[in-house]
Order: sequence, then C-alpha cells, then structure tokens
Amino acid sequence: MSPARALSAAALAALAIAPWVAARYQLSLLTDLLIYGLFALSLDLIMGYTGMVSFGHAAYFGLGAYASALVLIHFAPPVPVALLAGALLAGAVALPIGWFSTRATGIYFAMLTLAFAQLLYTVAYKWRDLTGGSDGIAGVPKTDLFWGGPSLASPRAFYFLVAACVVLSLVLCRAVVRSPFGRALQAIRENERRFTSLGRDPRPFKLAVFVIAAVFAGLAGALFAPFRGFASPEVMFWVFSGQGLMMVLMGGLGTLVGPILGAMVFILIQEVLSSYTEHWMIFTGAVFVLMVIFLPGGLVGTARRLRARA
Amino acid sequence: MVEQLLNALTLAGLLFLVSAGLSLVFGILRVVNFAHGVFYMLGAYLGFTTVALSGAFWPALVVVPLVVGTLGTLIESSTLRFIYRRPPLYQLLLTFGLALILEEGIRILYGPTAKGIDPPAYLEGAVRLGSLQYPRYRLFVVALGLVVAAAVWLFLRKTRAGLVIRAVAQNSEMADCLGADVARVRTLVFGAACALAGLGGVAAAPMTTAYLGMGIGVIVDAFVVVVIGGLGSIGGSMAGSLIVGAAQTWGAFYLPETAMVIMYAVMGAILIFRPWGLFGEPE
Repeated sequence: MSPARALSAAALAALAIAPWVAARYQLSLLTDLLIYGLFALSLDLIMGYTGMVSFGHAAYFGLGAYASALVLIHFAPPVPVALLAGALLAGAVALPIGWFSTRATGIYFAMLTLAFAQLLYTVAYKWRDLTGGSDGIAGVPKTDLFWGGPSLASPRAFYFLVAACVVLSLVLCRAVVRSPFGRALQAIRENERRFTSLGRDPRPFKLAVFVIAAVFAGLAGALFAPFRGFASPEVMFWVFSGQGLMMVLMGGLGTLVGPILGAMVFILIQEVLSSYTEHWMIFTGAVFVLMVIFLPGGLVGTARRLRARA
Repeated sequence: MVEQLLNALTLAGLLFLVSAGLSLVFGILRVVNFAHGVFYMLGAYLGFTTVALSGAFWPALVVVPLVVGTLGTLIESSTLRFIYRRPPLYQLLLTFGLALILEEGIRILYGPTAKGIDPPAYLEGAVRLGSLQYPRYRLFVVALGLVVAAAVWLFLRKTRAGLVIRAVAQNSEMADCLGADVARVRTLVFGAACALAGLGGVAAAPMTTAYLGMGIGVIVDAFVVVVIGGLGSIGGSMAGSLIVGAAQTWGAFYLPETAMVIMYAVMGAILIFRPWGLFGEPE
C-alpha cells in the first residue's frame, strides 16, 4: 500500500470512529470543520486548479444555506432534498454571474466576483420578507434522511451525513480534476494564451468549473443551515470569502485534501485563540502573512516538497 | 437637482482619493491592494487623534497623510517586496492578511465606538447657492478632490519623477535596465497611495465619522470605480469615481432600496462592452 493510500485509509477510519471517541462538543466542532472543509475544497477547484481567484465564493455558500433553510422551514422535506435545493440554487445563480465574470481575467475576475457577492449579500440583507434581513432565518430543523427514514436530529447522525457528503465530494472533485476536463483547467492555469492558441476557447471551461465549484459550495452551505439551525447574511459576507482563500492557501493550492486540512487548521487556530483573546484576528492575520511569504505551498504542498527532498 | 449633483461630486471626490491610489499601486506594482481601504480608515482615526491633540482640523490634513504614507512604505518594504515574482494571487492574499491585522489593530487602539470629528469653524454651516442651502464642508471636499486630481495628473505628466513612474508602469524591466531604481519607485508609490487614502479618510471623517468597517465599505466601491475606469489609469479613476458617485447618489435618491444594485448594473453594462474598463488596456 502506498503511503498516500495508507493515509487516506487512516483518515477514513478516523472519521468513522470519531463519533464514539469524541465528546459532544468535539463532535460538533468536527462537523463544523468538515463543512468549512467542503467550502474550501470547492474553492480550490477554481483557485488551485484553474488559477482564477474568486473573492466572492461565500455568496454560493450563503445561497445554499438560505435555500436549504427556507425549504426545510416551509416544507420540512428530508434533509437531502434541502441539500439538493441548496446546491442547485447556488449553481443556477453562479451561471449568469460566471458568464459575466469569466469575460474578465485575473484581478478583474476577482473584483467582479467580489462585487456580485456583495450584491447578493445586500439582497439577503434587504429582502426582509424572504430572508429575515440581518436577523436571518432561525429554527431550521434537522429532518429525516428520507421520507419515513431515520431522523438526523442527533449530533452523531448529522455528523455522518456531513462526513459522507464531504468524502463523496472529495472523490467527485478528484475525478473532475483528473478527467480530461480537469487537465484542460490546469492547462488554462499554466498558460491561458497557449491554451487559446491550441485552438480551444477557455471560457466554457472556466464557466463550467465556476458553476461546479458553486454547486459544492452551495452543498456546504445547505449542510450548514440545518446543522447550525440558522442562515444569516454573515455567511455571504466578503470576510467569509476571504477566509475561504486563507483556508485554501494554508492547506495547499491545487491539492484538494489540503484545503480541507487548511480549513480545519484555520478554524482550530481561531477556536484556540478566541478563548484567550477577542482580538484573535490580528494573530490569524499575522500567521497568514507569514505563511504567504514563507510557505507558499501551504501545509500539504510543503509536506510534499519535504518528502520529495528526503 | 443641483443638490444631488453636488452630493455626487462630494462622493466622487472621496472615491477618487481612494481609487487613485489603488489604481496607481496596481499600475506600478501589479498588486491589487486589498488593505487600501484600511489605510483610508486609519486616516480617519488618525485624523480624530490629531484633531483631539492639536485642537484644529488643518494639521490633520498634513500630518495624517505623512504618517499613513510612512507606514505604507514600511509595510511595502517589509512584506510585499519579497513576493513580487510570485503569481498575483499571493500579493492579493498578503494584502488581505495585512488588512486583517490593521483593522484589528485599529479596533484594539480605538475600541468599537465611532469617533466623530468636527469640521473647522469656517467650514461649518451652509452656503447659499441660489435657492439652495448647501453644507460648506462638502464643497470643500469637492474642491479637495479636484485639487488632488489635478496635482496627481500634473505630477505624473510634467515632472521627471512622474516620468520614471510611468516608465516603470509601462515596463519595469526596461526601466530597470535604463537605470531607474524600480524597488524604490515601488516603495514610494505604495507609500504615496497610502497617503492619498489617509487623506481621503481625514476628509471623510467629519461627514461619516471614523468607524470600524468603513475600510471595507470604501474598498468595494473603489474596486467598482477602478473596474469601470480601468486599473492603472488615473483618468479612469476620475471617470469611474464620477460614474459611481452619480449612480449611488441618484440611486439612493430615486430608488433607495436598490441603490447598490444600480451601481453594479452600471458596472456590468460597461464591462459587457469593455471588459478591461473605460480607460484600461486589455491584458
């Protein structure tokens, strides 16, 4: 067995036994970490594999959260229906925004995605009748796995749902980046001009990956709403988009697993620091600045480099 | 009508002070400075301190840009300088980290409450313009924006230093070969841009007070300005500031609930025809 395979097997085993080992609080923290991990994973598709920096990825997480919260509150269907609704709404909104934003490249793309995300944030904030404005939507129920199926209300049951979604998403994303489509994305990242001169139009590829990433971010948001029991405009705010970028970079751009780890490390740092000081942001910012300068490969990228050298 | 026009010009003046620096830094350093809005916020807070210490408003207009500009040069030469060779993503992320540090630093120093500044006595009150009463201070902000715009334009077009800066913007390697000290130009331009943002913060404070979160508010607007106008172009910043100022002012007047939407709609419409902005150049 290769070391990579052994590591993934160990990680899967750890995920499987965690609910029996972890205390209640730890299990809820782990569920949180996995949801943020899924968000960072989705961002890595566009950022790490295609080289497009989206500064508005939180919008799709937020759309997923709102869609799932509204569907669950008004119709109380099984949770997977709400997940589907969240993922689909995020993808559907990402389509026109992506069509627009991918007309621009580089920095213009980043700014356009930021502007559209702020626009969606404003809509969520102002459309009180639908979204509850700044209060958000509270009391989102955790319903069943399917009609008449087992309840997901227990922390352990919901944890397994989240873990299954994250593992499945990781497998799917891995399949995407290893497919010919994924190779094309990486070719665009490496040299868009050459890609064009080989007779291919990069825009459909960029639009497709933008929508795919939004769908997975929407799924993460759709898990978030019933898990936390609410959806509020904060999850669409630019700060969260920025944190997503930090998670991806800390874990390692273009590694898929890295961003999940990065999200976990990021939230854990925050969790530990915030128990000592309310000004944890200043330390997170400093750690991040140092990492950008000294460890551009992130945790996974640096680990791989060290192993290659050894 | 005249009142709305003056409001739009006031807003445009402030937006220009912020977006000009953003655009200049992008032109010279090829970096989108996410922390730029925080320098604006820092300017407002330092303006509050200066006014509190000196008891007068005018010193703040001089001292604050100097302090913010110096801080900018220090930050550039201690962090950004090392990563110019990396893909642009890293510089954007670095400035994002810097923004977090600065924002939280200001929160620690000044606490969560907003700080108001009084405008100087002879800029208080209103001026009579025909049938209209208009706040004197806002007219001062319009004038300040115009003066700075003219000064920046003249500096870049008519002085030797401006020539070197434009050369670095056009082709930094060639400028380097011809003997320009590119590293120094970058540091000084970054500092000057921060100073402009700080000046904008001081000018804004009597109208908006200094508050946490004003940095991000202005940076998003400034991004829209430079996207409309084209990054790296001072003329573009002027045009973009006027367009965004007008869109926000008339938007807030006629359709208060959807003012933000109008700004983005205008941006979207312009980008359909010119994805690199009105005065920018295709990458």
